Formats: sequence, C-alpha cells, structure tokens
Amino acid sequence: MSFYDIPRRSALLGMALALAVPTLGAAQGDPKMGGTLKISHSTRIATLNVLSLSGPAEYPVIDMAYSGLTRIGPDSQPMPDLAESWEGSADATEFTFHLREGVTFHDGTPATASDVVATYEAILNPDIPASAASVLNMIDSVEAVDDLTVKFSLKTPFADFPTSTAHANARIMSEEALAGDHAMLETVVNGTGPFKMESYDSARITRLVRNDDYFIEGKPYLDAVEMHLFPDLAAETTNFLSGDIDVMLLVQQADYERISSAPGVNALRVPSGRYVNVVMRFDQEPFNDLRVREALAYAIDRQLLVDLVLEGLGRPAHDNILSPEFRFRIDTPEKNYDPERAKALLAEAGYPDGLKLDLVASNRPAIRAQVAIAIKQMALPAGFDINVETMPHDTYLANVWRKGGFYMAYWGMQPTEDATFNLLLTSNASYEDTGWANEEFDALVQAGRSTTIESERADAYTKAQELMLAELPYIIAFYEDVLTASREKVQGYTLNPINRYFYLENVWLDE
Amino acid sequence: MTGLGLLLLVMGAAIFGPFLAPYDPQAFHPAVRLQGPSAAHWLGTDQFGRDLLSRLLNGAPSTVFFGLGATLLGVGAGSMIGVIAGTAGGWVDSVIMRILDGLLAVPELLFTLLIVTFLGGGMGQAMLAVAIAFTPGMARIARSSVLSIRTREYVLAAVARGEPSHYIVLREVLPNAVGPIIVEATIRVAFAIMIGATLGFLGLGAQPPSTEWGLMVAEARQFMFRNAWTVAVPGVAIAMAAMGFNLFGDALRDSLDPRRSH
Repeated sequence: MSFYDIPRRSALLGMALALAVPTLGAAQGDPKMGGTLKISHSTRIATLNVLSLSGPAEYPVIDMAYSGLTRIGPDSQPMPDLAESWEGSADATEFTFHLREGVTFHDGTPATASDVVATYEAILNPDIPASAASVLNMIDSVEAVDDLTVKFSLKTPFADFPTSTAHANARIMSEEALAGDHAMLETVVNGTGPFKMESYDSARITRLVRNDDYFIEGKPYLDAVEMHLFPDLAAETTNFLSGDIDVMLLVQQADYERISSAPGVNALRVPSGRYVNVVMRFDQEPFNDLRVREALAYAIDRQLLVDLVLEGLGRPAHDNILSPEFRFRIDTPEKNYDPERAKALLAEAGYPDGLKLDLVASNRPAIRAQVAIAIKQMALPAGFDINVETMPHDTYLANVWRKGGFYMAYWGMQPTEDATFNLLLTSNASYEDTGWANEEFDALVQAGRSTTIESERADAYTKAQELMLAELPYIIAFYEDVLTASREKVQGYTLNPINRYFYLENVWLDE
Repeated sequence: MTGLGLLLLVMGAAIFGPFLAPYDPQAFHPAVRLQGPSAAHWLGTDQFGRDLLSRLLNGAPSTVFFGLGATLLGVGAGSMIGVIAGTAGGWVDSVIMRILDGLLAVPELLFTLLIVTFLGGGMGQAMLAVAIAFTPGMARIARSSVLSIRTREYVLAAVARGEPSHYIVLREVLPNAVGPIIVEATIRVAFAIMIGATLGFLGLGAQPPSTEWGLMVAEARQFMFRNAWTVAVPGVAIAMAAMGFNLFGDALRDSLDPRRSH
C-alpha cells in the first residue's frame, strides 16, 4: 500500500476492510490532480453493454464507469466497491451486503439496494444474455432489506460468493436503465464509477471525464481518460513510444523488449493464467482414446513454445487449467517433450503408422495459428501428421467452436477455481466444449464450492485437478503473461492478472 | 529487356522454386530464429527459425500462379462478355455495357474485398474474386476491339457469304481483336499478384502455414523492428514479380502497337 492512501483512509474511518488498495506503480510524492490520461488499444470498443461485453478494450471502460458490489483487488482478493462491507452466514448460504450511503449514478439518481436487485435479476434472467450468469447461478433469491442492505440467499453453500459478485460483467446498473430498452445499454452508460462517459465513438476515441461525485473522497485524480483505438499495432507502438499516448493497454510479445528498453517507459509484465488450449473432443474419433490425447501431450515441447511464440514472456504449463496464481492449485507433474513415448502411445492406441489430423485455428488473434503451426512441427517426429486449417474468426465461431473435434481455443484467466472449471470443464459449464461430461469431476467441483472449510475445499479441488490431469480434457502448453506499458509520468497504474480491473481512479500524472 | 529478365526470374522461381529450396520451408531452426542473411541461411530466418529463402521459393508458385490464374479467368470471362456485346450491338450491347459501367465505378481492390467478404477467405475464393473484379474492364477493352473490327471488309464479306455468327465471331473477329487483350492481360497479371498479396496480408487470401508472399509479410510484420529481413524479403519479391509483368506488358504493347512499330 502506498502512503498516500492513509489520509483518505482516516477520512473514511470505520469502513471495514475498505480501500486497502495496494498500488504496484512507484508513486512519488503526493498525487497531483488533473490531466488527461490517453490509453491506446487495438481492438474495438464494440459495445458498452455491461451484461454481455467481452472485448479487451471494453473492460477498462466499464471498470471506470461502473462499480460492482465488490471488485477484485490487485492481490486477487475481493475488495469493497459499492458495498462497503459484507458478511456471510456460517453455512455460507446467506450473504448480506451493506451499500455505501449517498452514492449516486452519473445522472444524479441515488444508487440503492433496488438497483442491485434489478441488476442481479437481469443477470439471472435466462432470456437476457449475461456473461456473469454462470458464476452466479447459485443465487436463489436476492432482496432489498432496506435502501442500503441487500441479502442474497443461495441454493447451495458457496464460500467464494464475494468473489463472484466482483465479476467484471456484474456491475450495478440503474433499475431504470434495466427496465428500459436493453439496446440502449449498448451505447448509453449510467454507472457509479469514478469516470463518466463523455463521448463514445467505437471507431476512434472514447472519452470519459471525472465523476465529481465519486464515492471515494478525493478520487479520481485525473480530469479525463481517453481510449484511443489503433487498429494497426505498429502505429500503436509508434504513437506510444513518441509520447502521444500515456498507456499502451496491451503490449505484444514481439514488441515488449523494444518498448521496455525505450527511455521514459515503464513496462509491466504480470504473470497470468491466460492460456491457449488444444480442444480434443471426447465424443469424436480419435480423441475418445486417452492414449491419443496423452501422445499429443508428450509430442509438444512446452518451453520451446514459450520461447518461440511468447518470446519467453510466459511460463510452460503442463495441462493444468489452473495457473500457480490460484490458491488451491496443486503441484503439477511436468510433461517433457518425448516423441518416442508419444509414438509408443499412438501405437498402443492402434495407430502404429501415425495419425493424420486436421487442426483448426481461427485467424484471430494470430497466436492461435502460431501455436497450431508450432505443434504441427513438434509433433511430426511422434507420428502426428497435422494439417493446420486456419479460418476467419467468424467462420470458426459459427462452424467449429464447441462443435469441431480438434481446434485451438484461447482463454483469459478466471478469478476462482470454481469459475475456471464452470467456464469450460463441468458438464453444464458456460462454454463446455470437450464432451467430457464427467460426473465425478462435476461432483468434486460442486463439493469445492459448497463448503467454507478450507481443508475440505482444498481436498475437493485437489482431487478435481488430479482427475483432470489424468483424463486430459485439454492440452495447455503455457500460461501467457499480461504485458502493458506506461510513460514514466503515469503514477499508480497497475494491472490484475485477470486483466479485467484497472484501478484507474488511483492513477495520476506526475508532470 | 529488364521486364523480360525479371519475368524469367520470377517464372523460373515459380516453376522450379520448390525444388531448389535448400531447407524444408516449414522446418523450425529455433537456435537461429530472426537472423539476418548468413552462409547457412542466405536470406535469414523468421520467428520460428524457418529459412526465408526456402519459404520464398516455396511460395513463388502460389503467388505467381495466383496472378496468372485470376487474370486468365477474368480475361476469359471479360473477353467473352465484351465480344458478345460488341458483336450483338443494339439493346443487348447497351444493357451489358451499362451494367459493366456500374461495376467499373468501384475500384478493383475494393470490389475484390467485397466479393471475398461474400465468398469467404481462402486462396480459391480470392482468385475468383480478383477474376470477377477484372471482368468489367476486360469486357470494355474486348468490346472496343470488336467494334473497330466489326465493320472491316473481311468481316462484312463473311456476313455476305452467309457464315453463321459463331463462325464470324470465332474465326474472323476474335483472332484480330486479341492483340490489345493480351497486352492488357499481361499488365493485369501484375495487379493480380499485388491484389493477391494484399489479400494474403489482410488474412483474406492464403492462410497459414502457406508461404504465399503477402501472408509472409503479414506474419513477419510484428518482427519488423527485430529483423527487417523478414518483411523485406517477401516484400521485394512481390515488387519484382509485379514489376516484371508490368514492364513486360509495356514492351509487348510497344511491339504490337501498329502506330509505334511503323
């Protein structure tokens, strides 16, 4: 924690847990007010609909404009946001959140418990597409006890609930906006966050200005934040290095060395659980045979993949979907490149002469095809004759994703073990694409979420990981670091490994 | 002469390139990735340590034959339409030519992009798209050739003899109208190569792990500041191929143009 947090804390005393926001950036002196922060990004801000958006440049915008009940801090633990405190019942089936007093939306209407209830009802409404639904589906009912108190009753005990309410797509919207036409949510923003929308141009610049009524006194420091779209990465890098842009939201691996060694630049490398995974469907030949999946796992040189594709900016993974950042992650046995062993496994599975396969990779982002091409080459000596088939991303989404037997997927890190497993691997996961449907695994994940006793949770998640590693639903070859960079004058800028929370209310310009 | 020289070089690479490549164009050499020219790798290596010379030679056929194929298709369709319009005359001519004029208003690259968006990406689709984009221009040239020949004495004589119209078109008109079409086609190959490379660069044409030159530029672009050779090698190759056809087309026109040759 940097010391400039202290005066503000004493001003807001009595707030349990509140505002313990550690900032990794080297803050020097007192924060200065004012200034405009220019952030560059290379993907469009296509929508501002909090319920369903998923773009890398869309998350910082809603992180600035909206607040959730809770938020994930840089330490990956839930921290207060709109709720200043909360408590759970002993059996973890009831959670009560106490909202801050006197908070208003950007249009001036007060933010109260009824807005929270409306938001969660929208998320849980099966007719409304909501990304947060899968991690909040244990909610049985949500009620406003009074204007500042919200009580959640859960169907099953769920210890991580305050983490789930921090989901980036579970930001609190006004009851009025939710009652209206949801198409309006695409472009109209009315949140309680530190910045409010001034102009939104999905093809060029999105500009947010200081919310003078933000519930944390004295914040944000900046007058405005501008999000500049650069569809061309080379142009983005050039503009950042020339000083026209203050923060480059995402840095490509190929540029990292050049950017980090440039004068006046702070490059930030955050180890993360982001990964490219090879999907091998259990219900299609030949991957219904575990030995084929294992053979491919031994036919991949993971360290080499990190060096070639990530320029060394990542860590080799050994098929565990949980990266070392996760609390209940087990030590994972290393799988070393062993084409001979792979060949033997293939022969055992009935393919002594090798196996011809078509591996689909969407063309966006390029990393999918790069990993696919690298796997093709590495797996050659093991007897795999892989034909890499690249296709436009939209074609892939329509025809291959969650249908094809053998393709490359790419996922960001999730906040909890439960969210990770329920995103992809359990039978009723949001984006289930393996055809694994393992009841024992489902039960273990269920057990992990429904107790608050630490040792029991550890036990369930350990067994779930062991089962996953034994059955090998995915090949996960590496965890990719999140890379970002800022000019030296930018103070207090940090990133969370999940890359969904940006804490821009703490950022100030030293100029 | 320069044109012919470049053309022979490019055609030679297109025909024999894959057999001359010193390495497997897909093989990784991680120890020497992103290096400049050396004795082992004459033009350097890319991100995976793949030999750039081998990739260039391997990509020559798909790049050059793309240009030739797309042009041939476009010229074939365009000439046919032009000859029909020119020979038939009257309202048939008016209808066909007004439609083609409309299509001509759209720039060729933009038109190609539109068609690719409809057909989806890929080498075959891109070739078809370029061919379609070339058709209106070729039709106009073929038609004007036909119009100038249609009233010549030998054509009128054939009509007077009572020859069937397909005979007149194929035996009397077309052979004499073919000169300008060939010249135009040669120059268009250069454009087709450029458009093909552009589509590959944009991810709408050839797909990885193909070694098509435009795609090579696109894949290498992020490493431009680490090893400029990865971009320069396929870039210069595309320029040479396009220039070769263009200069050759110019020379061909000079020698076929009756006003210049006398």
